[in-house]
Amino acid sequence: MTSRALSTDVLLGLLPIALLIALWQGLVSFELAPVALLPPPGLVFSRLLQQLVTFSFQQEIIATLFRLFTGFLIAVALGVGVGMVAAASPAINATVRPLVRVLAPLPKVALYPALLLLLGFGHESKIALVAADALFPILLSTYYGASTVEQKLIWSAMAAGTPRREILLKVVLPAAMPSILTGCRIGLVISCIVVFLAEMITSTDGLGHVLITAARTFQAVDMFVPLITISLLGLILNALLQAARSYLLRGFPEA
Amino acid sequence: MTSSAAIGRRVAPLLACIGLLAAWQVAALALKNDSFPTALEAMRAVPAILGDKEALINILASLRRMAIGFAAAVAVSIPLGLLMGRSRTVAAFFNPLLMVIYPVPKAALMPIIMLWLGVGDIAKTLVIFLGVSLPVIYHSFEGAKAVEEKMLWSGAAMGLSAAQCLVRIVLPAALPEILTGCRTGLVLALITMITSEMIARQSGAGNILFNALDMGQYDTVFAMIIIVGAMGIGLDAAFEKVRARLVRWSEPQFDMPLSFS
Amino acid sequence: MKVLPSRSSEVATPGPARQPATAMIEIDHVSQVFQTSARKDHLALSDISLTIEDGAFVSILGPSGCGKSTLLYIVGGFVSPTSGSAKVKGKTITAPGPDRGPVFQEFALFPWKTVLGNVMYGPRQQGVRATEAEAQSRALIEMVGLKGYENFFPKELSGGMKQRVALARTLAYHPEVLLMDEPFGALDAHTRTRLQNDLLNIWERDRKTVLFVTHSVDEAVFLSDKVVMMSRSPGRIRQVIDIDLPRPRRRTELLLDPRYQKYVVDIERMFDDIDEAGVNP
Repeated sequence: MTSRALSTDVLLGLLPIALLIALWQGLVSFELAPVALLPPPGLVFSRLLQQLVTFSFQQEIIATLFRLFTGFLIAVALGVGVGMVAAASPAINATVRPLVRVLAPLPKVALYPALLLLLGFGHESKIALVAADALFPILLSTYYGASTVEQKLIWSAMAAGTPRREILLKVVLPAAMPSILTGCRIGLVISCIVVFLAEMITSTDGLGHVLITAARTFQAVDMFVPLITISLLGLILNALLQAARSYLLRGFPEA
Repeated sequence: MTSSAAIGRRVAPLLACIGLLAAWQVAALALKNDSFPTALEAMRAVPAILGDKEALINILASLRRMAIGFAAAVAVSIPLGLLMGRSRTVAAFFNPLLMVIYPVPKAALMPIIMLWLGVGDIAKTLVIFLGVSLPVIYHSFEGAKAVEEKMLWSGAAMGLSAAQCLVRIVLPAALPEILTGCRTGLVLALITMITSEMIARQSGAGNILFNALDMGQYDTVFAMIIIVGAMGIGLDAAFEKVRARLVRWSEPQFDMPLSFS
Repeated sequence: MKVLPSRSSEVATPGPARQPATAMIEIDHVSQVFQTSARKDHLALSDISLTIEDGAFVSILGPSGCGKSTLLYIVGGFVSPTSGSAKVKGKTITAPGPDRGPVFQEFALFPWKTVLGNVMYGPRQQGVRATEAEAQSRALIEMVGLKGYENFFPKELSGGMKQRVALARTLAYHPEVLLMDEPFGALDAHTRTRLQNDLLNIWERDRKTVLFVTHSVDEAVFLSDKVVMMSRSPGRIRQVIDIDLPRPRRRTELLLDPRYQKYVVDIERMFDDIDEAGVNP
């Protein structure tokens, strides 16, 4: 793809976002929607900038990010570990497979009340919910990646003298990395969504709580601010993961 | 595959359910916590909820909204995803917008949508629609993108128009991937439904859950978890049956542990 | 030995007992059964016995589906035979080991490692110090003609170059036997010829034992001391043919050599016989 085609693509992609904002502005300007329900975009974005520099709003972001990262990292550790072992060991596979079949489609958010009762209303229950939701996409893609590793890659390493117990770490893990990172990407987006929802349902801080507080007082402007913030956070985290991905997978075709 | 292995495959998830419930039972007995009933106590509360007319109507209303939201989302998302997969212009147009929307929790739009549309069915269905759309669009997009170019050339050589190619070649070729997206979407529909009800706190399964939590009826809380969990697992299993039937022609899914262990 | 041994006398294969002590690989009554479905078993190899001497270049030639790759995998220790046994230097093969280095048609390079990283993998695994392994590997990369490509990733190389890396990676841990599984099968005709020449040059330096699986008659005759003809369904050894051509071999000279031509034509005829008698699997 030439750089020129690339830049037309970018412009084309910005078009619907610009149109959306224009439509939004139009609805307000022509008084088709009352300002109380739909504040003008200029107001929302200036409030966002205003908020981003305040200490209290930064605290809310930090609370959200802390839960998001802790939960996500637990999910990565568990998902990659269990996925790899399940691909390697038929006995563990036989146990894990039906458990995953039952637990993966279970709406984890329904467990949230139980987590609240067991772990309390603090960080722990939210982290547990994030981890539970992000776990399965990571686990499944790790398993898929590990179980489709080219057999001859493993043979080559074995012939070069790699002991069986090291094959998992030295061959299967790096070979499954593209699939693992795809799972992590899905898991990360899910983490963003779930942490926000958990904070909306019950919390005393975090971005989700900011939205609920605004909703209770019918402050439409303040309802948009945390939503845009979480969208931006998601984009930034996704870009970071993408950068890590292109570094880790620099040897792989089409990474 | 021998028939005994097939039976094992069918029984294993059942055993997993029983195992999980048993683990719950043991944990609850060991913890002896008032707010953590045993599995048996929770299951005993299930008939009470399903027997309660109001609760049942609430749950059925939830499911109806879910079905409508899901169906509408699938109807819109599959054509959009396929078009994006076959046209770079369409893809470039929609991709950034979708990327911005992706990390926004759809259920979190509930308060704003409620502000505009009230707390009726439309608001709740719309949220479910939004929740389901993205994975279905994404998987349809990926599926359509991966369709072998030469298959389309063969179609064109046989005189199919571009639109006919999309319906008669791209759609079936991308079907396995589309159905994977629909499966994710179905579970997401349930999740979005429950979550939006938890946030709106007006009616539905999610509302029953949190009302019970507020009132300290812990048996009911856990019984509702069982009901919602069973819905998720049941819907997924049913969809998987349909999916397996529709894509019988496609390559069997790789399903074998590695041979170095 | 004359140009071709008479066909009738050569159906049997030399068993281990008849060989002198220099045998590198002994395959003793090996059979391999694969379960293809619930009720059907497929006999991939039927009662194979074969001895390969130290320093010999032996090709296994046969139609697709005759189990020739399976036989190679058994020697590699990647697959264990259903019955019978295979030995390397008198020891029964139970697992892969650095004494037997495979080179696969699919290259099987580690995509996450550079050319140098791939070649260094074996020596490092053997406990060779990093600096020393790197020096050895750089020399090998130069030997296979890829100097300057040390820091490239496999995806940046052509098929022929990838196969050169794969060969260097295997040579790097000094296997006593090279197990080559249709190594040039995925390459275009020109690249294939060049790699055959280069392989012969490298081989003529240290004369490792090579077990070379191929379905190309030219390739087998050009490279080998001995060609093992296999038939399919079930996979059996049809005939073992000694290729009595002088070394070092030059392709251009051989192509004009009537002895070479006769080997090729005779083996081609044998292929036709197998195809006529053979059942399609």
